[in-house]
Amino acid sequence: MDVKGLWHFLHRDASGRWAIWYLYLFAAIGLFSDFLANERPLVFREEGAWHFPIFRQMLAQVGLGQEEGKYVQEGWAGHSFEWVIRPLIPYSAETIDRRNLGAKSPFGPQRVAHIRYWHWLGTDQSGHDVAAGLIHGARVALFIGLIGMLTATIVGVLLGAIAGYWGDSGLEMSIARMVAYGATALGASYFIWAHQYGRVEGEADGWHHVQTGLGLVLFFVLGKGIAWGMEKSAMLGRRVPLRVDFWVSRLTEVLNSLPTLLFILAILATLEHPSIYYIMLVIGLLRWTGIARLVRAEMLRVRTLQYVEAARVLGLPDSRILWRHALPNSLGPVWVALAFGMAGAVLVEASLSFLGIGLPVETVTWGSLMRQLPGGNLRPWWLAVFPGLLIFLTVLAFNRLGESLSRAARTGTE
Amino acid sequence: MWQVGQLVWRRILFAVPTLLVVSVIAFGLSKAAPGDPVQQLLHRTGEESLGNWEQEEKSYRETARILDLDKPAFYCAFLPIAYPDTLYKMAHPVRRAVLKGLCARYGNGQLALAYYRSVEQGLKRVSAERQANPAIADPTWKLLKDLALRTDARWIHRQLNDLRRQGGSAKQVSSEITRQFHALEANPTPWRKYIPSFRWHGTDNQYHHWISGVLRGAFGNSWKDGQPVGQKIKGGLRWTLLLNLSSLLLAFGLAIPLGVFMARMKNRWPDYGLKILLFLLYALPSFWVATLLLLWAVNPASGLDWLRVLGTDTPQLESNWLEFFWHERRRMLLPILSLTYGSLAYIALQVRSAMDEVLEQDYIRTARAKGLPERKVLWRHAAKNAAFPLLTLIGSIFPALLAGSVVIESVFNIPGMGKLTLDAIFGQDWPLVYTVLWISGVLTVLGLLVSDILYVWLDPRIRSAEEKSKAVWT
Repeated sequence: MDVKGLWHFLHRDASGRWAIWYLYLFAAIGLFSDFLANERPLVFREEGAWHFPIFRQMLAQVGLGQEEGKYVQEGWAGHSFEWVIRPLIPYSAETIDRRNLGAKSPFGPQRVAHIRYWHWLGTDQSGHDVAAGLIHGARVALFIGLIGMLTATIVGVLLGAIAGYWGDSGLEMSIARMVAYGATALGASYFIWAHQYGRVEGEADGWHHVQTGLGLVLFFVLGKGIAWGMEKSAMLGRRVPLRVDFWVSRLTEVLNSLPTLLFILAILATLEHPSIYYIMLVIGLLRWTGIARLVRAEMLRVRTLQYVEAARVLGLPDSRILWRHALPNSLGPVWVALAFGMAGAVLVEASLSFLGIGLPVETVTWGSLMRQLPGGNLRPWWLAVFPGLLIFLTVLAFNRLGESLSRAARTGTE
Repeated sequence: MWQVGQLVWRRILFAVPTLLVVSVIAFGLSKAAPGDPVQQLLHRTGEESLGNWEQEEKSYRETARILDLDKPAFYCAFLPIAYPDTLYKMAHPVRRAVLKGLCARYGNGQLALAYYRSVEQGLKRVSAERQANPAIADPTWKLLKDLALRTDARWIHRQLNDLRRQGGSAKQVSSEITRQFHALEANPTPWRKYIPSFRWHGTDNQYHHWISGVLRGAFGNSWKDGQPVGQKIKGGLRWTLLLNLSSLLLAFGLAIPLGVFMARMKNRWPDYGLKILLFLLYALPSFWVATLLLLWAVNPASGLDWLRVLGTDTPQLESNWLEFFWHERRRMLLPILSLTYGSLAYIALQVRSAMDEVLEQDYIRTARAKGLPERKVLWRHAAKNAAFPLLTLIGSIFPALLAGSVVIESVFNIPGMGKLTLDAIFGQDWPLVYTVLWISGVLTVLGLLVSDILYVWLDPRIRSAEEKSKAVWT
């Protein structure tokens, strides 16, 4: 079933429709979280001029321009504007409401100037608005899940496809090339390492990168040259099979032998500056094995199909058959794995921030809101209930989506 | 049974390199970690600042020797020829980095080492002076301390100039250091950092000591409190094994009948209802449920204080496991509950779909046609064959028994393996971390082996390792 067919199937699948809509909502909240919960107004008018501080903030985040210092210093909440439209939740995730410190209940007394500023889902110990935290947490979960699993999918599809398509004997390479490429790859990585070592920070950075680039080009040419020279020899020019399937399966075996959560925790503990990008990378590089297995199995089936045989008989190069003809038809199970993988990634992210490792301390996520509970004060139930409910719903929706996709795949083949 | 033998050998043959790679990865992580374990230990024992350079150095060297950190990390290394051979002997990570930086800048390991030693000698000398006359020696001390951390030539010259103007022995010290630094500057060979050399360190290295110890059953000592890692693991394992084993037994014991029941009720309301319920349970994050249960149980109004969820009274470790379990039964109730429902849901759904498939088969129709009672058809003929998909689960059960409950243990504050490892990761107690990672690897391989053997044994369609590896790629 092609992507369009899949799309229609998903929207027709009555029992899974809520999941699709929930995920649309989740993605929208994640993407537009800055406009939904922000201490800055969406738009205000002052001294005859219109101001759009949230746009400014977003530009400032990517390094274009600066925020209006006057308002930042004064505090957005304290300023009285002539005319203003505030976001749905007039707090950012990191805003500290000093008048509602110490976990104020959503139903209990809160010290707010106007009902507009009520903390609908309460506050946490240090006066952060829980609703704003949840909205910001949606963005973190969405981005970690999406980018992490996208990386995992790319790695898994690539490795699974070459393992399945070429197997242990399909891909051949001369000994000369293997040796030459291997040696130059080693040499190039040594060069990069040695070149950056012992440099004083900030000393001719641009020139340094140019040198590195030139060095790499040199190594590339060198590798090609050595391979060309060595291939003249009859013994070194002999072509031997590259056992891609064998090596990829050994690699998955190693990764599968390590306990995932503990391994991720241990990797993240070695980082000096935690960041969500590392979590994406770690998820991407560790959770591809399932996808690779599915693609490989599908590729084993597809490569024996008649149209692939026909392409081969026609004399099309292997790489073209693989990427243009065989691979697109082997991606069916990937969608299913991706949906379940997203559920897993959201859970991993939540567990990590719940345990308090791998994310910068100031990043607010669903897990980090819940972390404040155990051991400490157990009274504020809203800190446990709301973030947990969102994690649950998101995981459930992705699971449901995976279910629908696998049903679509079944009806597609029947 | 020769096929089974062949399969076992094949697995073991592949397992050896896999486990070696896993051990190198696990060990390598500890080398990539920031921080100075020696300093941390000294800090904990209060020996960090004795006020005397020589004594501090001595206790540092001693501690590094005890932690085995004054040895090379691995059997061999590719290092630039610019580095001195004895680089690893510099156990102090910050100073080693500075020395490496000097070597890389000037490309002369011997001279860089000589310069650095002269700075250290200066520190030693001034430190002795400091006790007699702090007013004069303190500024010199500060300058030297800074000098030991920098590789920037312009900055070093400025610092040496300042040093010359200080009182006491600063003049002599600075002239010696300046002489060494000029010698270093006079012979720059920066190209030497690009020439790799292969260094062979032999078996007297940190990795070898650790892995050979592990193979003999001696896991080394914790960096945190010097306790044997083996003993710590044993203490934690008792909790984790009891928790996970009972949760697994409970999950399988409930899930299989449930799955069979659902398959029998296929497309009737109990099946639909249970399916939705199990689907919900499967997606329910266990740490959330655990947190909510904890929240509820510690609330005095709930009347659940008999569960003693926050219990801290650990009984004597000498009591046997059954007694231990009986003693802690109440405290284990909620953790077991939070661990069980997810796997229960998963297994039950698996059993249901497997049974569903099997019940369509001809031999079931035959069995029914010849008038066998439904109970016999279900359990004798169908359930036995539907159990195959569950065999692949066995591969993941063993490692889960070791460290499967990290988050739950941390919520309920249970001193099991998961909590132990988590605390070790937070506290950079690496000997425990890499040992646990490696043992988990061994257990995974073991689990795969067991599931392979069961497969070949029980499934008549798979009779050789080749067929198995074609059918299931691990």
